[in-house]
Amino acid sequence: MFALDLLSWWYGIGWAGVLHATRRRLGAVSGAFSTSTLLHTLFAPWRRIVTYPGAGLEERLQAFSDNAISRFVGFSIRFFVLLAASVAFVVLSMLGLVELIVWPLTPILAVILIVKGLL
Amino acid sequence: MDGLDLTSIRARKARLGKTIGHSGYTALLLLTFACIVGGATLAVAKIHYGYSLIGIGVLVLMPAVWWYYDLRNVPPFGNTPTGRLSGNCLALLKPNIQYSPATLWETIRSNNQVLFITNHLMLSADQLHGCFTEDPGTLSQILMLASQIADSYGSLTIEPAHLATALLESSPVVADILTRIKLTKADIVAVSDWFNRSYIATHAKPRDFGGIGRDWTSGFTPQLSRFGYNVSADIERTGGHYSTLAGSAGVHDMKSAFSQGVGSIALIGPGGIGKTSTAYALAQDVLAEAQDRALAHKQLIALDASAILSAAHRQGELEFTLTMLLNEALHAGNIMLFFDDAQLFFHNGPGSFDATQILLPAIQSRALQIIFAMTPHDYEALRANNIAFAGLLTPVVLREQPEPEIMEILADTASNFESRNHLLITYAAIKTAYTLSGRYETDIAYPGKAIRLLEQSLPHAYDRIVDAQSVEATIQQTRGVRAGAAAPVEADALLHLEDLIHQRMINQSRAVKVVSDALRRARAGVANPHRPIGSFLFLGPTGVGKTELAKAIAATYFGDESRMIRLDMSEYQQDSDVARILSDGQGEAKSLIMSVRQQPFSVVLLDEIEKAHPNILNLMLQLLDEGILTDTGGRVVSFKDAVVIATSNAGADQIRAHIEQGKELEQFESELTDQLISSGQFRPELINRFDEVVLFRPLNANELGQVVRLMLAEVNKTLGYQNISVTLTDAAVARIVEVGNDPRLGARPMRRTLQKAVENTVASKILRREANPGDHITLDANDLSV
Repeated sequence: MFALDLLSWWYGIGWAGVLHATRRRLGAVSGAFSTSTLLHTLFAPWRRIVTYPGAGLEERLQAFSDNAISRFVGFSIRFFVLLAASVAFVVLSMLGLVELIVWPLTPILAVILIVKGLL
Repeated sequence: MDGLDLTSIRARKARLGKTIGHSGYTALLLLTFACIVGGATLAVAKIHYGYSLIGIGVLVLMPAVWWYYDLRNVPPFGNTPTGRLSGNCLALLKPNIQYSPATLWETIRSNNQVLFITNHLMLSADQLHGCFTEDPGTLSQILMLASQIADSYGSLTIEPAHLATALLESSPVVADILTRIKLTKADIVAVSDWFNRSYIATHAKPRDFGGIGRDWTSGFTPQLSRFGYNVSADIERTGGHYSTLAGSAGVHDMKSAFSQGVGSIALIGPGGIGKTSTAYALAQDVLAEAQDRALAHKQLIALDASAILSAAHRQGELEFTLTMLLNEALHAGNIMLFFDDAQLFFHNGPGSFDATQILLPAIQSRALQIIFAMTPHDYEALRANNIAFAGLLTPVVLREQPEPEIMEILADTASNFESRNHLLITYAAIKTAYTLSGRYETDIAYPGKAIRLLEQSLPHAYDRIVDAQSVEATIQQTRGVRAGAAAPVEADALLHLEDLIHQRMINQSRAVKVVSDALRRARAGVANPHRPIGSFLFLGPTGVGKTELAKAIAATYFGDESRMIRLDMSEYQQDSDVARILSDGQGEAKSLIMSVRQQPFSVVLLDEIEKAHPNILNLMLQLLDEGILTDTGGRVVSFKDAVVIATSNAGADQIRAHIEQGKELEQFESELTDQLISSGQFRPELINRFDEVVLFRPLNANELGQVVRLMLAEVNKTLGYQNISVTLTDAAVARIVEVGNDPRLGARPMRRTLQKAVENTVASKILRREANPGDHITLDANDLSV
């Protein structure tokens, strides 16, 4: 009865749960890395560190260059964080996929290993 | 709905999950680890059994995974009771038992959820033993009710708490037990609600507050960090404790206002109503789930007036600091400012400064969201002093919430007190805190006053339990009132109050009786709680015991003669004297209202009330009617624990004439009252507001003799220091009465006569060494120097 209950769960709700768990993990990664916010504000100045243009052309150019630097810093940091998030995303997706494939094979694998050892 | 199917796969799984438990799960994981590592080692060493060991390790891992994802919390299945019973509930039930409500109770009563309910209701296992029917046929009704309770909380599963609530609610025996401890069935539901809120709070999924890059498009706020307190950061760190208020009208109104583009809000409410908590609840709500662009990811920073003031050492530095803070908040783009006790920023004074001119541009621009918390009094003062500034603020008025909501806030606050202080606060304690704070803490609003009382009651916990008695003891200690049930000794004294009063008071039996009855009614809790304990108008000639009775009540019931607050109303004959009665301590040092605030449990004696100014008498109408007065600062003071006694000599001649005709006074009371009203000495609305109008009759020679003996006891008390005592013969007493009796002044001259007659005589004897310590002197009429 125990084995039957275990196997019926393993190949039913348990297997489907692997998919849910992977999806949940990916959602958590997305939230933790603020992917949506970072994508929306990819080119925004870093922490609003900006200078305001004066009346003259030189001051305007100075402000433009300062702000461009701030935007570049912001972009760089956000880009690398998004990159890290993407890596985490890919790794977790791969792990999820492997889990999804290995899951149904696990009981069979266990039996094969036991038999192989005994032979 | 059918009964319980305890042979189902789900039930089996639940039992298996309980059998494995956390320790079994850990053991399985360890075994898996050992098998795989051992097997791998053997396999590397070319020993074939190693593969088998790895295979066994994988097989052992499978039930561990099963337990973790399924067995430890079996998900609900279908709509049958068995399908909805939570895993930990099902696991407790055995398949070979036919359950009845009684056996079901015995099975679940030790569960933590059930203990939460029974402990907070103070229902012990012994009390509840035998309270439930043993008829298995009634179980389906219990399950149906439990299912409805689960539905009402939006729970997919029937938890042990839901079963316990259903069992307790449906038992008439439990209802009787609750009645005996002054609780009701509704309180079972309230405690069940309380459990449900705690359960949701502790089992809630971690909230997404925006992740790592949330604030990267917002500016740095170093100065705001220095001078303010980041409420949102604290909520993010601790999880926040403001869920109860998150759905309140105050939070909703502020969110709506900000969403519609409002820049600044005046959050108005009396002290204790929860202005700070409401602002913090807004911060929590915004942090967790604000969808609106105007509020998304906004941080609430509370500015500290004292920190800003203390940092300003030179002229102009204060203005500079505040301007800098506003600019920083504006530039950061994700800041909402909160000015708690906003009046500190609206006028110059000790610990406060006028920042309205600095704040004005920021408020006018609407670029920054600011919340100013203030009392209605402070808001009116702001409107009076700076109408332009006040006009720019959108008022959000907090009103006192209904009792059920306040009780929820109290219960949730009690949970915080419990976890912080490691004790149990019963629901009866929470109810008592609500009731008693409503009666005795009139200076601040709910829920603040009840929370304050509950917190003050924590040191009165007995055996780490705060119950109704702890709260009553706190009120007794802090306010000097008797709130709990009368102890046997006190009850006995109350039942014989007349005898106690008569130990120091001669005759006037009717007056003594009506006052004693009022005190007994109040102490037994059957008097109207919204009026003074008793209010009496004593009419009669001078020196017949009106004031003495007031003193006797203060001494016998209230514990000390100093518990009498006495006002000579002949000193309050001007209209301006109203302020002297109502002063909040700013002007008049010792007003009536101040005295009662300090000592609410007392006798208030209003001597010669008819001489007071009509406007003061109007105040007395409110006092007698509602048991409250409002001081000049707008704070309410309760007279509901005071006995109010007004005395007057009006009608003294008629009383004397009536007595001389040999008639009884009791029948004359209403006639005299009518006479006093028609002669204009008393207004009918004033007289009608007293519980009783009592006539005091003049004392006859025999009674005056008894008064002399009472006074002699006082003289002997003084002489006791010299170890000398005095006795008067009957002739001596008669002589003092003869000399001291004045029909106009009653017993009043008697003290002077006694002093002259006895004290002078004894003094001479002491000086002549005719009286020495240890002597007992008996004085006859001839010995007296009168």
